[in-house]
Amino acid sequence: MALNIVVCLKQIPNPDLQFQIAPDGLDIKREGLNYKTNGADEYALEEAVRLKETNGGRVVALAAGPKRAEQMLREALAKGADEAVRVGHEDPAGHDVGRVARILAAAIRTLPHDLVLTGVQSDDIGGSATGGLIAGLLGLPHASVVTRVQVRGSEIEVMSELEGGLGRTYVLPLPALLTIQFGANQPRYAPLPAIMKAARQTIREVPPAPIDSSAYAFKVRRLSPPPARGNAEMIPGRAAEQAKRLAQLLREKGFVRG
Amino acid sequence: MDPDVLFLAEHFEGKLAPSTLELAAKARELAASSSGAPRGILLGHDAGALADSLTPYASEIVLVDDPALAEYAPGPYEQVLRATMDRTPPRVLLVAHSAVGYDFAPALAGAMDLPLVTNCVDVRLEGSTLVATRRLLNEKVQGEFEIASDRTYVVTLRPGTVKPPEPHPPGRLTRSEVAVDAGAARERFLRIERPQVQDIDIGQADVIVAAGRGIKKKENLALFETLAKRLGGVVGASRPLTDLEWLPKTRQVGQSGKTVRPKLYLACGISGAMQHVAGMKDSGFIVAINTDPSAPIFEVAHVGVQANVLEILPALLKEIGA
Ligand SMILES: Cc1cc2nc3c(=O)[nH]c(=O)nc-3n(C[C@H](O)[C@H](O)[C@H](O)COP(=O)(O)OP(=O)(O)OC[C@H]3O[C@@H](n4cnc5c(N)ncnc54)[C@H](O)[C@@H]3O)c2cc1C
Ligand SMILES: Nc1ncnc2c1ncn2[C@@H]1O[C@H](COP(=O)(O)O)[C@@H](O)[C@H]1O
Repeated sequence: MALNIVVCLKQIPNPDLQFQIAPDGLDIKREGLNYKTNGADEYALEEAVRLKETNGGRVVALAAGPKRAEQMLREALAKGADEAVRVGHEDPAGHDVGRVARILAAAIRTLPHDLVLTGVQSDDIGGSATGGLIAGLLGLPHASVVTRVQVRGSEIEVMSELEGGLGRTYVLPLPALLTIQFGANQPRYAPLPAIMKAARQTIREVPPAPIDSSAYAFKVRRLSPPPARGNAEMIPGRAAEQAKRLAQLLREKGFVRG
Repeated sequence: MDPDVLFLAEHFEGKLAPSTLELAAKARELAASSSGAPRGILLGHDAGALADSLTPYASEIVLVDDPALAEYAPGPYEQVLRATMDRTPPRVLLVAHSAVGYDFAPALAGAMDLPLVTNCVDVRLEGSTLVATRRLLNEKVQGEFEIASDRTYVVTLRPGTVKPPEPHPPGRLTRSEVAVDAGAARERFLRIERPQVQDIDIGQADVIVAAGRGIKKKENLALFETLAKRLGGVVGASRPLTDLEWLPKTRQVGQSGKTVRPKLYLACGISGAMQHVAGMKDSGFIVAINTDPSAPIFEVAHVGVQANVLEILPALLKEIGA
């Protein structure tokens, strides 16, 4: 069955960076940060493109975010998405996942969708919430932490990862929503001609749907560095000195014999 | 709105998840500030004994026993919780931030239009406002968030962040009469898949030299093999390395891999994401080597080395004669 697939992609600050809190304490300092596609979303996009390649269909890459997110959507086009849609959402941090999910759900309602894919978690917010919320809002059956997807007629068979290396396999009817886990596939690199082509493609911009905010009020109270940065004894010095001290410690503790 | 705080008991193959007792402890604390009672709900089949084992930790344990609930299943679970919460909406519903929790809680919140906050390291009530503490950006930032609503707050709590409770005089065990319409379930369970182990069991090792994405290249694993051999240990890894198939899946430490407790855990080029830390935090002696001083691995390490692991390891090997 040819599938209309919507894949949700989030642009996040590179989590390898160090972060400072903005003076008002409500966000991190964002000047000079570099942004990238959220790790798990790379796998969600790859899964979407592979499903299209095997079953036929179309992939729409969807992001809620500021203008800078267009860069990420262009990469998605270069990697095989057929269309890109950005919902203009000017809240750079997006801590209120309920709001982000409602905005995305409203956009998905306007797009044909047999299958909606998200990443398992965003590496900035780390909520693992947006996918499930969208499924609940749209009334879609869903599966989380998915590492394998196979289409069987109007159904899909998925494997969801559990703790400790176990997996749960089950069958869902379409349309459905899946949150895709790291390692589900090997994301491809975009070939140069595709990058050039994507640079010229238009990215559809839509305003965020008005959200009924009567259910709850959300507020960031304050961000801070994590408290009590552990009590690790840090070994000072240069590599050679550090290695020497570490060797000594390991000997003292009885881990090095002879 | 009921002032009670309800927690969802999680169990697998006849055993309670350890996080369930943590939820019970947090439920008691929250219930004290909402002037309600801590209550638990357990969905299962032939699960009377399990439910009974929870009664010392709550005022009431509600057992919903039905063949359709033998395994966790999102559809039937949602049906039961909806029916229960429509009847008496609790102030807070607490769920573990686990594979079951993040499958279940957000979807329920979406379907019932309830306020949701997930992966909390702490949560409290200030009057009727919920204040949640969460970690952001790979643990490098902490945030406090406020949600105000007259509806049930759905909260997922990160396992391992709350101390399990002391037992109290047992609460009552109630069997709930919620009828489960198994036919309405949209998903069809097929099977549980288990890893095929044909490798060493890193869970048995006294020393684990663990490599993360910071080691950059597969070739650098040779250093780790040499060091592990010299220390009489084995090589473990964070998830990205097993995803890349640089090492077999059996070497993966963490939530979706192995939980280990060696005498020595040497974490090299591993950032310390919560899913990794969940699998190694109880190791006897933890040494972390990382170039980033703000890497959260230093929060659980006993000894930290801020340095390039590709410089430290060769130097260390020389020092200890390997
Ligand atoms: C549901 C779920 C389950 C998961 N289960 C697991 C699990 O079981 N186990 C697991 O490990 N992960 C798991 N993860 C993934 C986890 O969230 C992290 O993505 C992963 O642990 C990161 O691995 P890492 O620390 O090696 O890589 P990164 O986070 O990329 O960190 C690399 C680190 O290396 C440092 N570094 C870079 N260069 C050097 C150098 N030259 N010398 C020293 N340090 C250097 C960097 O500063 C950085 O801190 C899971 C995720 C999800 C969503
Ligand atoms: N602003 C956004 N735009 C598009 N997708 C998003 C956005 N926020 C979250 N998502 C999707 O939801 C997943 C889970 O995010 P989270 O709930 O923040 O952990 C991500 O991996 C993305 O696929």
